[in-house]
Amino acid sequence: MKKKIGKALVVGAGIAGIRSALDLAEIGYGVVLIDKAEHIGGVLSQLDYQFPTNHCGMCRMLPLVERDAGSQFCLRKGLFHENIEILLGTRVTAVAGEPGRFTVSLRTRPTWVDPQRCTGCGACVPVCPVEVPDAFNAGLGRRKAIYLPVPHQVPNAYRIDPAACTRCGACVDACPCGAIALSTAERKDFRILVVDDEPIVRQSLESWLEDEGFAVDTAASAPEALEALEKSEYQLMLSDIKMAGMDGVELLRQAKTACPDLAVVLMTAYATVETAVEAMKIGALDYLVKPFDPETLVPMVMRVHEELLAAKDRQVEVGAIVLAGGTDYFDPRQQAGNPYGYGRLPAVVTSLEFERIVSGSGPTTGRLVRPHDGRPIRKIAWLQCVGSRDIQCGADFCSSICCMYAVKEAMLAREKGAGEVEAAIFYMDMRCFGKPFQRYRDRAEAEGVRFERGRIHSLAPAPGTADPTLRFVALDGTVREETFDLVVLAVGQRPARGAAELAQMVDLPLNPWGFLATSPLSAVRTERPGIVAGGSFAGLRDIGESVIFASAAANEASRVLHGTGGSLAAIEEAATEFRDVSRQPPEVLVAVCTCGDRILSQNDRRQWIDRLERDPVVQETIFIDRVCTAEGWQALADAITARRPNRVLIGACHPYVFTRRLRELGRATRLHPALMDVVDLLGPRMAASGENAEAVSSSGDLPRRLAMAVARLQGTCLPQVEATPVSRQALVVGGGIAGMTAALAIADCGYPVDLVEAGDRLGGNLRWIGHTLDGHDLNALLAEAIARVGKHPKITVHANTRVRGAFGEVGHFYSTLEAADGAAQTLEHGVVVLATGGGEAAASAYGFGSHPAIVTQKGFQEALAEGRFDPAALNTVVMIQCVGSREEPRNFCSRVCCPTTLKQALALKRDNPEATVVVLYRDLMTYGFAETWFTRARRAGVIFVAYRLDDKPKVEVAGPDRPVTVTVTDAVLGRPLTVAADAVVLATGIAPGLPADLAAAYGATLDQDGFLAEAESKWRPVDSLREGVFACGLALGPRNVEESVATAGAAAQRALRILERERLPAAHLTAVVRHSLCARCGRCIEACPYEARRLDEELDRVLVNPAMCQGCGACEAVCPNGAAVLNGLSMPQVFGMLDQALA
Amino acid sequence: MALAEKTAIDLGTMPEEAAALAEIRAMVQPCIQCGTCTGSCPNEFAMDLTPRHMWRLVLLGLAEEVLASRTFSLCSACYMCTLRCPRGLPLTEAIGRLKQLAARRHLPHLRSGDLFYRNFIASVRRHGRVREMEFMGLYFAQMMNPWLPLRYAGMGGRLMRRGKVALQLPSRGSGRLVKLFEKVAEMENRS
Repeated sequence: MKKKIGKALVVGAGIAGIRSALDLAEIGYGVVLIDKAEHIGGVLSQLDYQFPTNHCGMCRMLPLVERDAGSQFCLRKGLFHENIEILLGTRVTAVAGEPGRFTVSLRTRPTWVDPQRCTGCGACVPVCPVEVPDAFNAGLGRRKAIYLPVPHQVPNAYRIDPAACTRCGACVDACPCGAIALSTAERKDFRILVVDDEPIVRQSLESWLEDEGFAVDTAASAPEALEALEKSEYQLMLSDIKMAGMDGVELLRQAKTACPDLAVVLMTAYATVETAVEAMKIGALDYLVKPFDPETLVPMVMRVHEELLAAKDRQVEVGAIVLAGGTDYFDPRQQAGNPYGYGRLPAVVTSLEFERIVSGSGPTTGRLVRPHDGRPIRKIAWLQCVGSRDIQCGADFCSSICCMYAVKEAMLAREKGAGEVEAAIFYMDMRCFGKPFQRYRDRAEAEGVRFERGRIHSLAPAPGTADPTLRFVALDGTVREETFDLVVLAVGQRPARGAAELAQMVDLPLNPWGFLATSPLSAVRTERPGIVAGGSFAGLRDIGESVIFASAAANEASRVLHGTGGSLAAIEEAATEFRDVSRQPPEVLVAVCTCGDRILSQNDRRQWIDRLERDPVVQETIFIDRVCTAEGWQALADAITARRPNRVLIGACHPYVFTRRLRELGRATRLHPALMDVVDLLGPRMAASGENAEAVSSSGDLPRRLAMAVARLQGTCLPQVEATPVSRQALVVGGGIAGMTAALAIADCGYPVDLVEAGDRLGGNLRWIGHTLDGHDLNALLAEAIARVGKHPKITVHANTRVRGAFGEVGHFYSTLEAADGAAQTLEHGVVVLATGGGEAAASAYGFGSHPAIVTQKGFQEALAEGRFDPAALNTVVMIQCVGSREEPRNFCSRVCCPTTLKQALALKRDNPEATVVVLYRDLMTYGFAETWFTRARRAGVIFVAYRLDDKPKVEVAGPDRPVTVTVTDAVLGRPLTVAADAVVLATGIAPGLPADLAAAYGATLDQDGFLAEAESKWRPVDSLREGVFACGLALGPRNVEESVATAGAAAQRALRILERERLPAAHLTAVVRHSLCARCGRCIEACPYEARRLDEELDRVLVNPAMCQGCGACEAVCPNGAAVLNGLSMPQVFGMLDQALA
Repeated sequence: MALAEKTAIDLGTMPEEAAALAEIRAMVQPCIQCGTCTGSCPNEFAMDLTPRHMWRLVLLGLAEEVLASRTFSLCSACYMCTLRCPRGLPLTEAIGRLKQLAARRHLPHLRSGDLFYRNFIASVRRHGRVREMEFMGLYFAQMMNPWLPLRYAGMGGRLMRRGKVALQLPSRGSGRLVKLFEKVAEMENRS
């Protein structure tokens, strides 16, 4: 499917890396996806539950268009896509070149286990003598030196941890497949010549190095050494300096002349060190001072060996590089004095460890018991801001994610503990700034999670036990003590380990907080064109935001690839003409891999044949040894060509691995790959705990599995669905910064865009904001965007125009535009991006409108700009946060108001240092790096007073010429403070500007607050549920400029997946309608979660859009007449499988 | 206690000390009122305001209330709050400044501690070290409370029996440190 010559490298295979890789692969670029870990999924492989659903849902990131190009199973298990090459245990060692032509060196750590041969049987594990803490379980369990990085990965090959392995070789003997080869093979090829006139030195060096697996020869003198060098090739020579006859330096000179590539290390007595140093000038690599021991010698030789191996690093040519290295968690032991006793008190765990405790694959198999003593956990405390918002440990930032994961963990604990678990969260500000976060937090509180405002400074064990006791100050000032079964430290984020080195390698600076520095207002682009940052690599982001920034990064990479010619077509293979088997009765060839004798022995074959051929559709059952090998595969292809079956069933291992190979087999045998299936006969070995895997496989279970697959396969027929043609242009509604960015992002990749703006000028909110909290000039950004949009040959701007009506579906929407002068026109387009923006919400509280000094944030900014307020005359200003926000009916955080308040307060303090600025807030939402500005505002003397929702500030107006009096209860002092203010600024937040009828015209829905309802808040954050309709900017949810720009890039990239194709191909697993049975009741239309079905009133038929259908089967389940059929999983097939399962 | 009709947040309440107070306030301005200081303080049980409460008052410019409390005078300078403050604020040092401010005012409710400290230093100034008997004698005399010595009588007796303190009559001492003290006073006044 790789239709283009462009290729990108994605560094980091966490969710952001996966998202970037899929986004690039889906529009036809090749991707090399690497990760230094031995598994994909990053930290998410360890997290089982995500709020707000408390489920996983990662699979929703999988391709929705041309689904058959990639895997369609749990993404936590693995990822396969035609265009993506995944290299695990791999890191970047060098980057050279320019955008469009980077040469990247990649080094893959050897795992010493051949993944093609390893079947994951686990026979190697019991024999391994080494035990180390298990990183997957956050150190709560232990694992062997040969281990599975992630227990649920597919295919799950074992790996050897080279740092822990003693190379005893026990696993090599235990492996039934011969999959393990310890690295000695490589070392055997590394030949070392030891030259010394003392026999004892020669002998000991020889034995030390041979123990490590190197090939060693010795020579007693220099001439002897030269002779040996002439005879055979050596990589390293270890030579003494002081030898009778010719000395080591002369030997070095002559040896380097004869063999210039030879590495030479000189061994010297202390007296001749200077000589050795001199010798390095004529080509010696290093020297060793005698006497030395193996601990000095061996690592040095290994280093030389590794450096030589490194020269063999793989080089890849890519057009763009996406850095998606993610972040790491803070280690609480690094806090000065370790006040929480992490590591000392067993019942103090980090949030990641807690995730493992509640995980089914964790050390306690998901039971809520303490891992160290097995006692049920009944009372848990979460301590927030561990390693965040703490200048003492170098974190003048908010980690952005901890508040919400703590709430989630508290909810999970209460759920798992059936309500008997007490959960308390100790926090400073609850930063629930995402769209559904505040309601989630409120739900947690309503369901009994306790929220305590206050920072816990230290923990001590309760007298006589090891249970941690918190000593804390309640808001009323009383000091309380409370003992918990478990204390969870909500650890913050840190730059990923190795991020600084990676940044240095690509010659990019870090920001003051140690993360990769990106261009102002982009957060994705860097100083070096062609190298972009995705996910949380350059900032502190949660899952949903990481996914957005990953898509935005993929978009930047796509633009670079497109701009440097990467979109040119690669040579396309001719389409295969498949045999037409639609009119033939099913004939199934069953090919069983015997895998040596592991799957079945000679004796059992008859029994299997009898069982399988009971079903007359089975043409023949053949047995092939190791079908995965080239010979086995050829034998299979030959059998198919000879017997000409019209269905093929392969019984082997890992079905997921075969997806790509079935396609090749289809080409070779001209049988459509959809008519082939693979059954896993070796797995799943993840049987429910306690179940004996051997018992499962021996009791005739395997032939039964095959028989079930036969039942399914015989009912499979090729879908007769037409691919939908695509109108390859886009409509962007809204000409603010998000809309313009989205338009440019699509147009830069070569597709025409119509940009519709209701007003007479482009720019939206950027026309009044001025600059950001960190001082970046938005007017410059706006001017540049307007200029680029105006000049772009692919963009048509329709100002003073509204979308009056629209219909259609993905690939071909029709929209009617109406200009202010009444002129109307209809456009056909394949996708639509809704960027209708939003504005400041209206103020209706705190006496707004009754006094000129009471203004909104926007009003304040405009009044200052117009001179209605003079900063010098403003002695006292009160700013009130969360006006009408974060409470029903607008129960969400608008994210931008707290930073805007800081911006305005700091500007005021700058212009009038004597002014008193008082900020009344509930929780100050300076997430991420904005926290720094919170610190600065406090330093500048801004006074912050927290108020409670049930005790809001009171604003009294005595008269137009008298100051406004604001009274607020100070929570710490516990008494009212009264301030006479010259200005009262109300932070009212954001109100969306997305008309419901516009969204409805395209089939998208709004959430209860009037923003676009995204398909999934974490995994598909810019898509609507309706394919082909995307949103960005404020139409999607409250966001600042930088984040809005990122959503625009992400939406554009998602749109490009569709524009990229002339026709939208349907997947094989697609629903169809049997019109003769259909009663048009419409239940399937309601049930379809992808809105792929509609009633065509002209034809009087229910139609399925095959490009939108995802094959979930919901329609088949609700249809009362059996008229909704899922191709490949029809009712006869499912019942057939059940019959075989029970037979 | 309502503060209506008066702008509570006002630095101008004490013009003569405003500069000193502004300095103290600037030291703790980045405070986020998390309460770590209160939770860490070993003497908190004896204080009338908690440390968090006290810093809040300082931030709001309500220094009179701070000086009317005993909280800062009970600080034993263990530096626990300074060590643990997530904002890294110099809290113990700020308390030291408050103590100095209070000392200059001779606040009646802090008289005992004030006199104790002054006589201690006076003794050091005269002799180069503290002479316990003389120092306590002068302290008792200045406190003008006939019952006060009785409170210390038991401890004094025990210390004397062990030879830790001896009976001494007040004397003028060598006065060799006087110059040093004068120099320090001069430097302090200059800055």
